[in-house]
Order: sequence, then structure tokens, then C-alpha cells
Amino acid sequence: MGIRQGILLALVFVPVLAAIPVLLVPSGRAARLIALIITAFELALSLVPFAVFMQPRPDGWLVRLDLSWIPAFGINFSLGLDGISLLMAALTAFLFMLSVLVSWDAIRDKSPMFHFMLLVMETCVMGVFLSTDLFLFYLFWEVMLVPMFFLIGVWGHGRKVYSAVKFFVYTFTGSLFMLLAIIGLYVIHGSQAGEYTFALEALKSTHVEPATGLWLFAAFFIGFAVKVPVFPIHSWLPDAHTDAPTAGSVILAGLLLKTGAYGLIRFGFPLFPEASAAYIPVILAVGIIGVYYAAWIAYAQEDMKRLVAYSSISHLGFVVLGIAAWNEVSLAGSVLQMVNHGITTGALFIMVGMLDERMHTRDISAFGGLWSKAPGLSAFFLLFIVSSLGLPGLNNFAGELLILVGLFKEYPYLAAAAFAGVVFTLIYLLRLAQKVLFGPPATDAEFHDLSPREAAILVPLAILVVVIGLYPRILIGPIEGPIKALVSPVAAVKTAGATPQAATAPAQTAAADRGGTP
Amino acid sequence: MNLSELHALLPLLILGVGPVLLLLAGAFIPGLDRKRLNFIGGAVALLAAVVAATYSPPVTEAGGMLGTGPYGRMAAFLAGITALLTILLSVGYTSRRPLGDEEYPSLVLFAAFGMAVLGGATSLLSVFLGLECLTLAMYILLASNRGDFLSGEAGIKYLVVGAVSTAFLAFGLALVYVATGDLSLAGSMKGLTASGAFGPVGLAGWAMLLVGIGFKVSLFPFHLWAPDVYQGGPAPVVGFLSTGSKAAVWLAFLQLALAMGGDWGALAPVLWVMAALTMVYGNLAALTTNNVKRLLAYSSIAQMGYVLMALLAAPVVGGTAMLIYLAVYVAMDLGAFGVVAAFSTRDRDLGDIESLRGLGYVHPVRSAVFAVCMVSLAGLPPTAGFIAKFGIFQAAVKAGYVYLAVIGIATAIVSIYYYLRVVVNLYMRSPLEKGVAATAGTLLPRLDDANRIAFALITAAILYLGVMPGGLLDLIGGIAGGNDGFRC
Repeated sequence: MGIRQGILLALVFVPVLAAIPVLLVPSGRAARLIALIITAFELALSLVPFAVFMQPRPDGWLVRLDLSWIPAFGINFSLGLDGISLLMAALTAFLFMLSVLVSWDAIRDKSPMFHFMLLVMETCVMGVFLSTDLFLFYLFWEVMLVPMFFLIGVWGHGRKVYSAVKFFVYTFTGSLFMLLAIIGLYVIHGSQAGEYTFALEALKSTHVEPATGLWLFAAFFIGFAVKVPVFPIHSWLPDAHTDAPTAGSVILAGLLLKTGAYGLIRFGFPLFPEASAAYIPVILAVGIIGVYYAAWIAYAQEDMKRLVAYSSISHLGFVVLGIAAWNEVSLAGSVLQMVNHGITTGALFIMVGMLDERMHTRDISAFGGLWSKAPGLSAFFLLFIVSSLGLPGLNNFAGELLILVGLFKEYPYLAAAAFAGVVFTLIYLLRLAQKVLFGPPATDAEFHDLSPREAAILVPLAILVVVIGLYPRILIGPIEGPIKALVSPVAAVKTAGATPQAATAPAQTAAADRGGTP
Repeated sequence: MNLSELHALLPLLILGVGPVLLLLAGAFIPGLDRKRLNFIGGAVALLAAVVAATYSPPVTEAGGMLGTGPYGRMAAFLAGITALLTILLSVGYTSRRPLGDEEYPSLVLFAAFGMAVLGGATSLLSVFLGLECLTLAMYILLASNRGDFLSGEAGIKYLVVGAVSTAFLAFGLALVYVATGDLSLAGSMKGLTASGAFGPVGLAGWAMLLVGIGFKVSLFPFHLWAPDVYQGGPAPVVGFLSTGSKAAVWLAFLQLALAMGGDWGALAPVLWVMAALTMVYGNLAALTTNNVKRLLAYSSIAQMGYVLMALLAAPVVGGTAMLIYLAVYVAMDLGAFGVVAAFSTRDRDLGDIESLRGLGYVHPVRSAVFAVCMVSLAGLPPTAGFIAKFGIFQAAVKAGYVYLAVIGIATAIVSIYYYLRVVVNLYMRSPLEKGVAATAGTLLPRLDDANRIAFALITAAILYLGVMPGGLLDLIGGIAGGNDGFRC
């Protein structure tokens, strides 16, 4: 095991190892400090690969780590880093550090336990993005629920317990069916190959009967779709996002939703090229409905946090469309948009949290004319709002454009409809900006502009928004190779998909062979 | 019986002679208080477990009655450990309750002796003898909370149900003997299906056996006694009843199943339906109750459904998954009841789930153990409960019981709600009324060292096996594979 594998291991395990001393320290201050140091260390660690080893190995991965873990079940502890997971890992590290900073003053109650949960969460999210063994992936995927459940239920506001339980039950339901599908695939593969394994690469070559494949993919899709979330199984999201503490909302919107989309890209489609092709109409339909429906509801929201939450569903609708189109352009757009949404929506949640801390309300009507009182804060708010609605030159534009272009290649009418959906986004976000930032001040209450700590949180986010917007290549560069490798096998099946089983089976195996070498 | 067979029975001898000596010591040696007697009882149990784990006897069967090979040793080890944990969890509880002096640890050890005999039985006779020894001790233990009406009710209820189920079981064994003319477990079971299918007498025998076993391990529709008995009995005893006694019955059940050699035949649909209904009923009923012990009772019923699913798959894929589940289940369920015992005051056991409100921050150790046990029972990683559930589901799918696995998954989703209720009350609800809860928090007994040791052992086992299950899997896989008729 070399230094590269060591970095992978450290990315996953440093937070959870640090979590134990954090839980045991008596003072909240020390807990915060340790958590900040650890998350900063993680961020630095996640940036190392960008600088040092971007040269892929022959099999397409940048780094692989493969350790025997539970041989009785054929389970390996295997992690893999490619461009996609690298972006996700970096986003994770970045947002977790911000979460610690955001909670600096806001979380005073049971601070050690809060940071314990945060760090455990970081390990799980990292694990989800880096696992290449289905069992390991599922383990992280499922453990993730527990710290999030506590973050919402203990430190949230409003109907926090209701929201926490709802979040848990929804996602648990989806993922348990996915577990069954994972087991099903494992057993099918084992009976075919004679060797039981959960390794992603091996399972890709499994030949699944079409009828069985439909069931298995459906279970996978539901597991991922609940997290994304896809209409109509999204209803946990507004509650959970609204009632979570700011750090929780940032992690939920910025990372948890991404785990669902990531799962579809990494596992769902590649494992079931045929079955996923059969489901594409359904996926496209729920994607486009999500774009419109969530935007429509977002417009009606009076609670800013709820508004941003619904905007997440709408934005993730685009990501789902990009995944369903499954070509190099749209997929690159989806991955880019996952990162962008993490940055922009994370920033919006952070800013709503700042407003809430000042006014103790998130009601849009309680605000107004903020620009005259707190120009610094308002400027940032406006920047993130226009970033979210896809202003050219800012980050979201690049992602949405790629998705729509890619979508247009496959389904021109649908792409046109999705384009029109952007207008909906415009409406509710401009309403938010107009009501909160401009017009007459709603109250005479004193309103502080940004504190240095808050500015320190927002400046890096703003820089990323602009830099990615102007030069998206810095993100697209690393993901090009892996996306090519993902697209070709599935696309091969899709093109052969018109002819039934007999023709597709050899195409699939051939594609699986090709998939290994980009 | 020769000398090497006697050697081989060493763990059983310790579990059998130990409590007799303990009873005598309590009667004749002055100055032995409850704590010391419990301590001695725990030491005896530990000794038996250690001997069972480390001493590999020269023969694998003693007297044609008891297996002393890996499987029998595992049963004895499980009995010793369960008894040890139960006694450790009872030290504080018995100091607050009139459960008796030397008789309490002695009875637990007698029950453990029964467990070991039953789990390691290689003859129909020793199945019956072990079960009776176990159940008789349980009758007394359940009712031992003298002066407590509910405890008496629990004892009586268990006695009546237990007697009926014993009758069924004995009749079933007799019919099997009639059908095959063989009393050895392996021989009689093989004989039943020798002609390819069950004969009428053999099938009737198995039906009786199923009723008897169904009562003992609370399978639907023979579960009705469980909630009342669990609610009334003393918490640590109920924990022992729910884990040790059930595990031993399952061990024998698995032996019977695997000895038949590869097929459930006509029994498969019956077991299928029983497993499905047990999972559905247990999990749905647990949603409706507010009493912690009743909740754990329904949870235990539901868990038995999962075990039955594994047993159903066992003839095809081997018993490993089921044995793992049992081992893990013993740890997590006993831990849960241990916390209930530790939260029980001088007057009454932990009752309403609401009385847990806010305890997470007042009594962090017990609450954390409770939360870990709940998470594990719910089958969430990174606990052993997840690995165990995973093992069961993959066994069921491998054996072709896909629909049953789907039902199991669906009911597991339901179960998450009531397990979370406990966690929610511990950590996310503020105490009902400030004054009352503040006093309630302080009125709860302090945590004693024996409790701490037991909790540390249980939590460490649950978390360690959740992350590193390889060792246990290999060990149990080896035991299951090393015994005649077992396949992995």
C-alpha cells in the first residue's frame, strides 16, 4: 500500500477516528476546534490528488485500494478514486469544513456530540463516494442516515423530530429494497461465475435475465431516487431541509442529494445497462416533472429555507435528466451540476441561516430592503441567487447548458421543455431577491452586516461560483476520462437495445470488456 | 460412559454441579451476601464458557445423548456466556428486588445447563430433558419477584403455556420415534424422509414438534403469551428468556432440520407462512404498544420470524447465517433488556416509553447502550445486527425464497419506526414535565460495575462484529461445516 492508497484511507477514516476524542472532550470550544482542524485537513488531503496524481492507471482509476475484509461473503474493502469521485470528495471536504464554520456560534448546545455526528457523517459521505464494492458502498450509504437523523432531530428547529423520522423512514425504505437487489445481483453473479463477490467491476459482467433485471434496477433506482430526490418521493426533503440546523441543510442539499445521483451514475446505470435503458422514459418523465413541479411549489413558499429546499428538487431534476440522457455531454453536465448545486445551494442555505440568526425568522415577508442596511450580505445573496438561476458566466449556467445540450442530442423536444423550466426557476428566485433585498425595509430593526467569520465562509463559495462559471474546464477536465468509460458500455446496449435479448447479451459482455480500458 | 466422555462433558458438569454447590454454599456459609453469590454464579458461568471454548475433547459425542464436538461446545459456550451476562446484568437489579439470594444465580445456571443440553442434544431424549430443565428454571425465575402481582402472572402464564407446549413436544418426539424406531436425533430424522417423503405418522410428529417449538420461540400463531410474560417478568430474567432459552431451542431445531438431509419437503410451505406471519405480526404489533418491555416482546417475536426464514433456507445453504443471527441476537436483545433492568427502580420496571424522555443526556452510558442495541436490532450498519440480517437475507435469496425475503425487507422497514421511537425518546424529546422528569432522572438507580462490564462486553461485541465479522463468520462456518450434515 503506497502513499496514494494511504490518502484514500485517510480521507475516509480520519474524520471518524477524530470523532471519538471530539465526543469525549468536555468543552464545546475544543470540540469545534478539533472538528475544524480535521475538516481542514480533509480538505487539504482531498486537493492533493488534483495537484499530484491525475494520471489514470490503465484501468481508468487514479488510485485503487483493495483489501480483503469479509472473505466468507466475498466482501472486499475496496476504494477507488477517479475524476468523478475526486470532485465529489473535494466537494464533501469543502462543505464539511464550511459546516463546522457555520455552526461556530449557532450550535452551543451539546457541541461535542454535534461535531461527533458531523465527523461520522463526513466519513460516511466520503465512503459512499469512494467505494467500489457494493457491500461497502451500502454500508456507508446506510450508516449515513444515523448521524443525519441526530443532526436534524437534536439540533433542528420546528417539527424536528417529525422531520428527522420522516427523513429516516423514507430513505431507509428506499435503501432496504436496494439492499435486497444488491443481494439478488450478488447471488445471480455467484451462481454464474461460481465466485461470490460484491466487486463493482465483476458484477458489471453479470448476465441478468431481462425480467429480473427490470426488478433489480427498479429497486436500485428507488433507493437512489429517494435520496436525489425524484418526484413523487421527494416529500421528506422540504421537511428535513427546513427543520435541520444550517450545517445539516448544507450537508443534506450539498452532499446527501448528490449521493443519490452519484449512485445512479456509478452503480445504477452501469450495473444494468439493459434494464436502465428500458426505464429511461420513466426517468425522463419524473425528471421533467420534478423540474416544473418543484419550481411551481417553490414559488408559493413563504419560508426562505423551504423555498431553497424546493429549488433543490427542481435543480436535481436537471441532473436526473442529464443522467437519463446518458451521453458524454449530458453526463458531464450532470456531474458538473452536482458540484455546482452543492456550492450554490449550500451557500443559499448558509445565507438563509445568517438571516435567521439575525431576525429569528425565515419568512420572506419579514424582510425587505436589505440592500440598504447590509450591502455586503445582500451582494453575496444576490450573487448566489443569480448563480442558482443560471446566469451565464456563473457556475450553474455551465452545468445546465451541458445537460440541455446533451439532452437535446437525444430528445430535442424534451430538452426544449426543460429549457422552458429554467424560466420557472427564474420566477421564484427573482421573487426571492426582489422581496428580500429590494423595496422598502420591512422593519426598523438593526441589522448587522457580515462578520469576518461569515465573510470568510462566503468568499470561497463566491470565488468558486465565479471561477467555475468562467472556466468550467477545471472541473470537466478530471471527469472526461471516467465519463467516457461509463458511457460507452451502456450506450452500446442502448443502440443494440432495439433488438431483444439474443443480440444484446454479447454486446453487453463486449462492452463490459471495453469498459475497463478507457 | 467412559472417562473421555466424562472429560468431554466438562462444561456441562460445571454448569450442572456449580449451581448445586452454590445452593449449598448459600445455605451453609455465613456472610455470603447477594452480590458475592451473584459473583460466584457469574464465575461458574464464565468458567463453563471458557472451558467450552478452549477445551477440545477427545470424543465428539457422550453417551449417545450429547454432542461434545464443535456444535455442542458452541451450545455450551453460548449458554455460559448468556448466563454470565444475565447474572452481571442482574447484580444491581437483584439488590433492589426480592428475587432471592443464592437461588437466583443457581436457577440461572440450571437454566444455562438446560440450554447447553438442549443445544448440543444428539438424541430426542436429550432434547426433551434439556428443554424441561431449561423451562422449569424459567418458571421459577419469572415468578421470583415475590410480592409483585405482574411477576406472578408472568410465571403462571408461562407455566401454563410451557406445560402445554411441552406436551405437544413430547408427543411429537414420541410420534417421530414411532415412525422411525430410532431415538438418535440424526437417525430418526433421516429415517423420517428415508422413503423420499414424510409418512403420515412422521408428519404428524413434526406438526406436534412445530407447535411445541413455536410456543417456545414465540412464532406466530403461538406467540400470544410473550407480551404479558415479558411485561410482568423481572427484566434480566425476561432478557434471558428472550435470548438464551430461545437460542437453545433454535440450536436444537437446526439440528433436527439439517439431520433430515437437504429438504423441508411438505413442511416448507408451513414454515414459509409461519415466518412471514411472524415477521409481519411482530413488527406491526410493536408499533401499537407504549410499554418498553412489550415493545421488546413484539420485537423479539419479529426477530424470531427472521430466524425462521434463515432456518427455512438452512437445508439448502447451511446453518451459518442462522447461527450468526442467533449469536448476534443474544448480544443485542440481552443488552436491551439489561438497560431496561438498569433503568428499573425498587418499585417497578421501566414501563412507558415516554419515561425514557431526555434520559440520553442524564444517563449517557445506559442510553448509548440502549441506542446501540436498538440500531442493531433494526439491522442498521455498522452494527452486528446489520451483518446478521444481511446474512439471513442473502441465505434466503440463495435458497430461492425471494418473496419471503421481500416480505422480510418490508417488515424490517416497518420495524425501524418503533426502534427509532426509543432513540427519539432518549435523545430528542425533552422530559415531559420539568420537575417530575428531573426527579425521575435522579431516582433511577446508579450504574454498578457489573452492569458496566456487561454493557461494555455487549456494546463492544455489537460494534466489533459489525465492522469485523470475518472471524465469527469463519468460526461458525467452520462449526457448521465440521458437523455431520452441515453444508456451508
